[in-house]
Amino acid sequence: MRTKQEYLIRYKDGNLYCELADIWIDPSKPVKKALITHAHFDHFTFGCEEYISTKETAILLKERVGDNIKIKTFEYGEEFKINGINISFHPSGHILGSSQIRFIFAEEKWLISGDFKLQKDETCKKYEIVKTDYLISECTFGLPIFKWDESNKIANDISKWITNSPEKTSLLFCYSLGKAQRLLNEISQTNFKGNIYSHSSIHKMNNSYKKIGIDIKDTIKIENKKKIDELKGSLLLLPPSLSKGSYLKNFKNIQTAFASGWMSIRALRKRSGYDKGFPISDHADWDGILEVVKKSEAKNVFFHHGDSEALSKFLVEKESINVLFFGK
Amino acid sequence: MSLKNFSELFVDLDASNSTNNKIEVLKNYFLSNDPIDNSWAIYLLTGKSNKRFISGRYLKNLFSKIYEYPEWLIDTCYLKVGDSAEVITLLLKNKSTSRKKKLSNISLNELLSKIIPNLSKLNEEEKNLKIRNMWETLPEDNHLIFNKILTGTFRVGVSIGLITKSISKLINIDEEVISHRLMGNFEPSIDSYEFLINKKINLQELNSKPFPFLLANTIEDKIFKHSINDFQFEWKYDGIRMQLIKRSGNVSLWTRGQELVNESFPELVEEISHIQDDFVLDGELLVWNFKEQIAFDFSFIQKRINRKSPTKSIQIKYPIIFIAYDLLEINGRDIRELKLENRRIELEKYFSKWQNKTENNISDIFKISDLIFPKDWPDALTYKEKSRENNTEGLIIKKKTSIYSSGRKKGIWWKYKVDPMQLDAVLIYAKGGSGRRAGLYTDYSFALWKDQELIKFASAYSGLTNIEIKELDKWIRKNTIEKFGPVRSLKPEMVFEISFEKIQISKRHKSGIAVRFPRITKWRKDKKINDADSLENAYELMKKIS
Repeated sequence: MRTKQEYLIRYKDGNLYCELADIWIDPSKPVKKALITHAHFDHFTFGCEEYISTKETAILLKERVGDNIKIKTFEYGEEFKINGINISFHPSGHILGSSQIRFIFAEEKWLISGDFKLQKDETCKKYEIVKTDYLISECTFGLPIFKWDESNKIANDISKWITNSPEKTSLLFCYSLGKAQRLLNEISQTNFKGNIYSHSSIHKMNNSYKKIGIDIKDTIKIENKKKIDELKGSLLLLPPSLSKGSYLKNFKNIQTAFASGWMSIRALRKRSGYDKGFPISDHADWDGILEVVKKSEAKNVFFHHGDSEALSKFLVEKESINVLFFGK
Repeated sequence: MSLKNFSELFVDLDASNSTNNKIEVLKNYFLSNDPIDNSWAIYLLTGKSNKRFISGRYLKNLFSKIYEYPEWLIDTCYLKVGDSAEVITLLLKNKSTSRKKKLSNISLNELLSKIIPNLSKLNEEEKNLKIRNMWETLPEDNHLIFNKILTGTFRVGVSIGLITKSISKLINIDEEVISHRLMGNFEPSIDSYEFLINKKINLQELNSKPFPFLLANTIEDKIFKHSINDFQFEWKYDGIRMQLIKRSGNVSLWTRGQELVNESFPELVEEISHIQDDFVLDGELLVWNFKEQIAFDFSFIQKRINRKSPTKSIQIKYPIIFIAYDLLEINGRDIRELKLENRRIELEKYFSKWQNKTENNISDIFKISDLIFPKDWPDALTYKEKSRENNTEGLIIKKKTSIYSSGRKKGIWWKYKVDPMQLDAVLIYAKGGSGRRAGLYTDYSFALWKDQELIKFASAYSGLTNIEIKELDKWIRKNTIEKFGPVRSLKPEMVFEISFEKIQISKRHKSGIAVRFPRITKWRKDKKINDADSLENAYELMKKIS
């Protein structure tokens, strides 16, 4: 058995790091070379000398960081070499451009899952099963209480929620990149045919998706002064950061909801302060994580991004899979 | 008509913070379901029954056994979810493959009148099989309701007031009438629902039921701007609030918690039955110190309330008295619409008549509340400060022109308590004590209402007698929902009066407040959890003090 220092990829200063290539994965502080799995704010940071990502992620990243960053892009499946290590991006199904990253060195395969889901999402490429020896997986929802419903069922629930209160303005809070576009795509296939408005942060992302060639339903950008009557019976998509504070005072007679995997738990739903919660997630549920672990054929698994204790114990006891720990 | 409708009702009520919305949802439910299902729905929603048929632990063990799930994994999930019924519901979603294709469509009535009560007649093996069968044949969105009813943890943010309002809207009859009809026992049946929604108001039918109680609010500053002559002042006794009803010769004694307690106080029932008139009196039951003509404290009346058919010696040891505050009905005439000052005149008139006509001296067991006449507000304050001397809690201040409505109406009655640093809270956790108290559950956590949720606000260790501690310990062991290590989460049922020295804002606590030196000053067995205070009350208290 190797010591922690000898793993191809390990934890360093709280980030995933490959010493042999001197490259970081989704680093939270500025570094020389950063591989970026996807363009969510908690997966990249400003000020790195060089970024490497998929083409789609690069476009979204530039939208968020600015045009003047140095960024190298690759197609899904396209292999490139750094210091003798073969590296490639593979679809992870999380959001547009999101990827798993595979490293091959001396016939040893490592796979970083990135954030991933297996569920249907027409706004990004479907998760690709990649075989590996070592798997580094996220486990945000690593408990068996998490079992997602089909996304069209959730979309129908949302549609019903809006149309059942035609006198109200329905405020649906969701992450502006990925979740919002997925919801738009799903909701446009339901019976709800009213107006949909997007907050500017969401509107911007919708446009980026369209530029990349994803078919997203047109929405109206929320302007500062909107007549309240005009909004009756329509759906407003807003980022969760606006749910607390004075922003809501702009509207009258509203109902609010949050679209997130955590909303499957009643106590969290109640505590969140939203009227309603729609449990829909861009992360894998328990079964999803187990499926990926099994199908990747990994003999060794690391978990990060979540409570991994129960999941690890379950895999060791029930599936005889070797779960390793990075340590700090 | 199915359980599905009730599940949907639950989801809708749970997702709404708006009172009007909830009333609308309830109204629609009542309109589109059978009387019998409606009756059960009211029974469940008003918390008339939250009997536990099976413990959360049992449910989790059963799930673990059937689906070969490690218990530790279920326990880990529980930590995240905080409710066994919900954990099992969520885990069952993962077992949807084992579900039978043909789903059963049962009614709420079937579930509550047959299936669940029958479980207790089965042996363990049959019982387990039945529950498993229910899990596998019930549609997925009915699981939560089923599991919650099984474990006696069904609760949703609906008050009796809300049910009252929605029925009142449904049939266009005054809320007060519906509220009256909902008083007392409610046995789910077609009849009980039809009675509730009957458009004809028939006083006879309400014969056995007490009127909805009118409750006092905490004192507000604005009252001091009014003339003292606008108000009636009485001592705030610390006993059990009751309605003493005599109709068609039958006497009934109803507590504010809507329990009939005739059997605990036979001497009062006997004495009252000699009075010629019919009436409804609102008052307080106390154990009375006849020598000094003051009340004994609350712990004395507690010794009587839970004892049915007390012996003569108990009756002599703890002599009771009913102090009448108000006359609500006299010889079939409902006088709640009269002004308080006029009702008082009636009360005094009839009381002196009864006193003179009754053979025995009824004042041995029944008197009317003495009025106090402060000259001005500072004088009222002086009276309040003196209230400790006669074992009262302070003053009750009532507007002389007010009618007797129901509930905690604002601007009618106020309580002016001598020690304001008190809140009635619900016991939610208990922890084992150490040292002398090892082996007993003696560390308690208490919660206040926030909307329909109970939020922990204080922990207390002291204040109960050793006998009470033992009694509570026994109750805790029988009413544990979950155990985590030394801590047990408990069925919210017991209300305690918590006193403390200081109250301030605290960001560290979920409740947003911190209290200093909290202690238990009373076990309020007479109160239901809905009578406990809310965080809002705590904030008001804080405002008043600062």
